[in-house]
Amino acid sequence: MSINSNAYNAGIMQKTGKAFADEYFAEENQVVHESDTVVLVLKKSDELNTVVEEILLGSHKDQNSTLVVEDRAGFWWLKATGKIEIDCVEVSELLGKHYSVYDLLVDVSSTIGRAYTLGETFTITSELMGLDVKLKDFETA
Amino acid sequence: MAISTATKAATDALAVNRAPVSVGAQEVHRWMQSFTWDFDKNRTKYSTKYKMANDTKEQFKLIAKEYARMESVKDERQFGSLQDVLTRVDAANRVHPKWNESMKVISNFLEVGEYNAIAATGMLWDSATAPEQKNGYLGQVLDEIRHTNQCGYINYYFAKQGQDAAGHNDARRTRAIGPLWKGMKRVFSDGFISGDAVECSINLQLVGEACFTNPLIVAVTEWASANGDEMTPTVFLSIETDELRHMANGYQTVVSIANDEAASKYLNTDLNNAFWTQQKYFTPVLGMMFEYGSHFKVEPWVKTWNRWVYEDWGGIWIGRLGKYGVESPASLRDAKKDAYWAHHDLFLIAYALWPTGFFRLTLPTAEEAEWYEANYPGWYDMYGKVYEEWRARGCEDPDSGFLPLQWFIENNHPIYIDRVSQVPFCPSYCKGASTLRVLEFNGKKHSFSDPWGERMWLSEPERYECQNIFEQYEGRELSEVIAEGHGLRSDGKTLISQPHTNKNGRLWTLDDIKKIGCVFSDPLKAL
Repeated sequence: MSINSNAYNAGIMQKTGKAFADEYFAEENQVVHESDTVVLVLKKSDELNTVVEEILLGSHKDQNSTLVVEDRAGFWWLKATGKIEIDCVEVSELLGKHYSVYDLLVDVSSTIGRAYTLGETFTITSELMGLDVKLKDFETA
Repeated sequence: MAISTATKAATDALAVNRAPVSVGAQEVHRWMQSFTWDFDKNRTKYSTKYKMANDTKEQFKLIAKEYARMESVKDERQFGSLQDVLTRVDAANRVHPKWNESMKVISNFLEVGEYNAIAATGMLWDSATAPEQKNGYLGQVLDEIRHTNQCGYINYYFAKQGQDAAGHNDARRTRAIGPLWKGMKRVFSDGFISGDAVECSINLQLVGEACFTNPLIVAVTEWASANGDEMTPTVFLSIETDELRHMANGYQTVVSIANDEAASKYLNTDLNNAFWTQQKYFTPVLGMMFEYGSHFKVEPWVKTWNRWVYEDWGGIWIGRLGKYGVESPASLRDAKKDAYWAHHDLFLIAYALWPTGFFRLTLPTAEEAEWYEANYPGWYDMYGKVYEEWRARGCEDPDSGFLPLQWFIENNHPIYIDRVSQVPFCPSYCKGASTLRVLEFNGKKHSFSDPWGERMWLSEPERYECQNIFEQYEGRELSEVIAEGHGLRSDGKTLISQPHTNKNGRLWTLDDIKKIGCVFSDPLKAL
């Protein structure tokens, strides 16, 4: 069975013992390799469980086929190619209460990639915000 | 009466930029930026060789009101869980005894790092010239205060609610004799707050936080959960909810200097020095705590390191910055070797020096030895058979008269301390990336375990003058040093540290150590 290349135990991580060591110490793996993926760690909570189960793995599942979500005991571990976005207006509608992007940040535990907020949207992207792409200021209507 | 220039500027700005009618946080944030505070000619006490741009952004658009609301909800959730359900189900006594000991080290040491990060980010606030960047750093100052309190609280919780409080309650009093303390201060203190301000940001935010907090504060919660500890995930994952802003601060530090000429000259060297400084300590210590300080294993430490450090931090942070001239750290090859072997080397030495610690260590069981050999082929021949010999000689039994340190002496394997990282190493018996090199300066000998630290020392030797335990206590008998260094429990005779976690096993006392007659000697004197 093939495993998504963004999975927690993808690639070399499936190997054990000598096979792992051979690849780990291989000459080509003695320098870093650029990656256009992003990683998001979400602390488990009532709201974040809903975001994961109902939105990212529910209504939005078809929007990003590279997204992998794994249950790692106290947290959800997510990895995707390109970016992951969470619209808190949509979360508010689902939760039936006001839920701002700062409410979301209460339980966002870690990010690998460039994470930022704009309005009520949280984004983590592989783009180099501030270098390749300007970080936008909030615009009023 | 004439108004001051500052008041006039504020009045004029208000006339042009009316306060928003809405109280939307992002709208208020946008409005505040319209004041265009001018820090361009900022004078700082904390200089840097880089010129930080003054239009750098803060990625989360925080204002004080939202910050305070967000953090108070985090605290409410954390303390609510700890003080209600976790206390009710006696969670602290369900933790595996081995993991209980690991948390004495992890939470006490993290507390020191968080405390020093308060100063580090205060310094960065003073150095930066962009208003938004200053805002990001200021938020981090407040976060670090919160984290210091959180780490202190979890130690208090373990001590009050759990098992074997000694070490959770007052670990810091053993800081003079514990061989892991000084290295921790180098990585968690000196690296964050001494020298060039941007170098400190690279150490703290770009490497310490963006790279090593993921294993230290996130992956650790998997190990905690597997070993029955539900308190650590509650607290540490809450700490990490602030770290993502700190990672962004570190990235924005790089953005702010990306177009400065100095970056092309110095950034790769500073990044490599920071990476080596942080990995030199975190890699072996975290690996040792996870694997040797747990009963139930999640995965080999080298895989945790490969995922979070090499693939994700290396590829997603450093790799992506390649087109701006950021290179793969030159020390990566040695760091990878350390990630595979150095925690095994360190545990061998830590167990040999156990009386000087503040936590209890346990030799690997036969079942664990099989796990190590399966995941690190060659482990048994190097380490496993040594542990079998130590166990056969009664290293856990106070009546045996045997300290594993004697094995190193009998077999002519001297233990040195690396002057720069302060990490102990045994060059004649190790598989990590350590080799002995010795230099003299001002009539004193200095040992180094690697060329990366040696280079840092050569550029500023006066920075690394910290005495190590062998220099400090040369000629002194071990039990005398333990008593002087507060390594005793409240009865005044039993050691805080022990070479086992057996609840029915007898605990070593000062008298048991004294009758062995172990005397400190400085291995550099013999060269």
